[in-house]
Amino acid sequence: MQKQGVTRRQFMQMCGVMVGAMGLRVQPPVRESGLPVQMARGFNPITTVAHALQTKPRVPVIWLEFQDCAGCSEALTRSHNPSLVDLVLQYITVEYHETLMAAAGLQAEQNKEDAMKKYAGQYVLVVEGSVPAGIDGNYCTIGGRSALDLLKEAAAGAAAIISTGNCAAFGGIPKAKPNPTDAKGVWEIITDKPVVNIPGCPAIPEATTGTLFNFIVFGKLPELDYLNRPKTYYAQTIHDRCLRRPFYEAGKFAESFDDEGARKGYCLYKLGCKGPTTYNACASIKWSGGLSFPIQSGHPCLGCSEPNFWDGGGFYQGQSAPLDRPTIVTAGAAAAVGVVAGAGIAMANRAQKGRGDKTEPSEGAKS
Amino acid sequence: MNWDNILEFARGPFFQVALFIFIAGMLFRFTRIVLLGWGKDRVKSKGSKIGGVAKTYAKAILILPFLPWVKNTFNRNPIIYIAGGLFHLGLFIVIFLGTAHMLVWKSLIGFGWFTLPLPIVDWFAAVAIVAMLALFINRLVNPVLKLISGPAEWLNLLIVFVPMVTGYMMTHHLLQPYEMLFSWHMLAVDVLLIWIPLSRISHFMFYFFARTIHGAQFGKRGVTP
Repeated sequence: MQKQGVTRRQFMQMCGVMVGAMGLRVQPPVRESGLPVQMARGFNPITTVAHALQTKPRVPVIWLEFQDCAGCSEALTRSHNPSLVDLVLQYITVEYHETLMAAAGLQAEQNKEDAMKKYAGQYVLVVEGSVPAGIDGNYCTIGGRSALDLLKEAAAGAAAIISTGNCAAFGGIPKAKPNPTDAKGVWEIITDKPVVNIPGCPAIPEATTGTLFNFIVFGKLPELDYLNRPKTYYAQTIHDRCLRRPFYEAGKFAESFDDEGARKGYCLYKLGCKGPTTYNACASIKWSGGLSFPIQSGHPCLGCSEPNFWDGGGFYQGQSAPLDRPTIVTAGAAAAVGVVAGAGIAMANRAQKGRGDKTEPSEGAKS
Repeated sequence: MNWDNILEFARGPFFQVALFIFIAGMLFRFTRIVLLGWGKDRVKSKGSKIGGVAKTYAKAILILPFLPWVKNTFNRNPIIYIAGGLFHLGLFIVIFLGTAHMLVWKSLIGFGWFTLPLPIVDWFAAVAIVAMLALFINRLVNPVLKLISGPAEWLNLLIVFVPMVTGYMMTHHLLQPYEMLFSWHMLAVDVLLIWIPLSRISHFMFYFFARTIHGAQFGKRGVTP
């Protein structure tokens, strides 16, 4: 690394940033140890990371793309820290990546197969895009083989699987109604391997690289939540960390995209923000090297890191609103059912009462 | 099955079904009551029916909330009167002037209106919840009330209470994840929508019938209180 012109200072600085990005504790746990401050010695993640990066071998990565737009790869090339260049040149070897590799055709497929054999049980499989299960997986084929088949083959020898983007994680846009290809997330198909989901549209590049880094340093995947998302990046909602949150509390909302409130940076809840139910790190890590994120730039959160976000109600409709508005026909049908049933029973009662009035005197006469 | 699926179900198909049952049920009851017919009133008018209606509503809106002691109910049972009044006030403010609820109305009827800031709505929500608890305890300890309370009365309290508490908890992100509380809130609201036409909570509509008819009768007889 020194040969490449990286100074010790630069290297340690990068390790420190990575520790922060992975959410590792930098301060030693003095208070928890119960020891006097002078005596407490905790684990220092910066040196751990530095040591791991210096000593561990490069991690082979196989990157598969199925029903995707390559947007997550595109986003990854904008990863700020570590950059994709850092990763590729120093810590990982990308054995197969359709968008980035120079090779094509049979040679590329051959290379992938060789890598899978050579690094069996060691490589990280990154999947981008959903997997169609309809008509035996034939909606998406690469080199004459279905995505379903390719995924199962690659997953068999993988040490860990990272699903990057909402499509690979939860089916994403291809899974939106009516889901013609029967698109599925990777973890719905591969159940016998650890699958970590990095949802987002695209996934936050730092979340993808941070998870990869975690694997490089510790040899395992980070702690996951109930949707298999790393807790480091997906433990809090956008709403929790939103810079417009005070306006929400104060009841100050932008009513349209170009009104006074929007210019003053008021809360975008009324414009359909899905921040309260969306778990992601946009509001803290942000995008393009911490420059901004959608809400900061004036657009409500779409909830792109949540399952079925494409069908979760209108993007510009308040989140509290029901998913579908009942049609006039449905409401009319409900009204008609009520009125007809009510009138029917009222008529029946009247008829009965009428009969009762007629029969009553004769009954009385009998007794 | 996770909370996102449940939330989707509660905001989507279940809400639609609940709304259908609500509309059909309320119109069913409305039609039945209208078709009960009117008895012929042969008494000579001593006053104006419309005047009586106007006076009785004015009294309900302007006098009873502010000068409650003009009414015997208040003197006999102030807890019910005050707690009941505050409960209804809180409920109206939360349902119509809370931003999230206004957006529900907007999505259903197509237009929105001014809403109050969260901290203000919050206080009314808290007041309504406390009032509801007071009414519950009152029903529990008052021997007469206890005697005339059947399962339907207890269910009324429960079915109204759950949406209120879950709604309050979710706006404050208390104890549980937001989407879980949101799911509970929506499920509870759906159950409430189905329950309303079957129960006395339908008084939200029939109250206006009662007041109008009584007002008209009082006005006609010239005995408007």
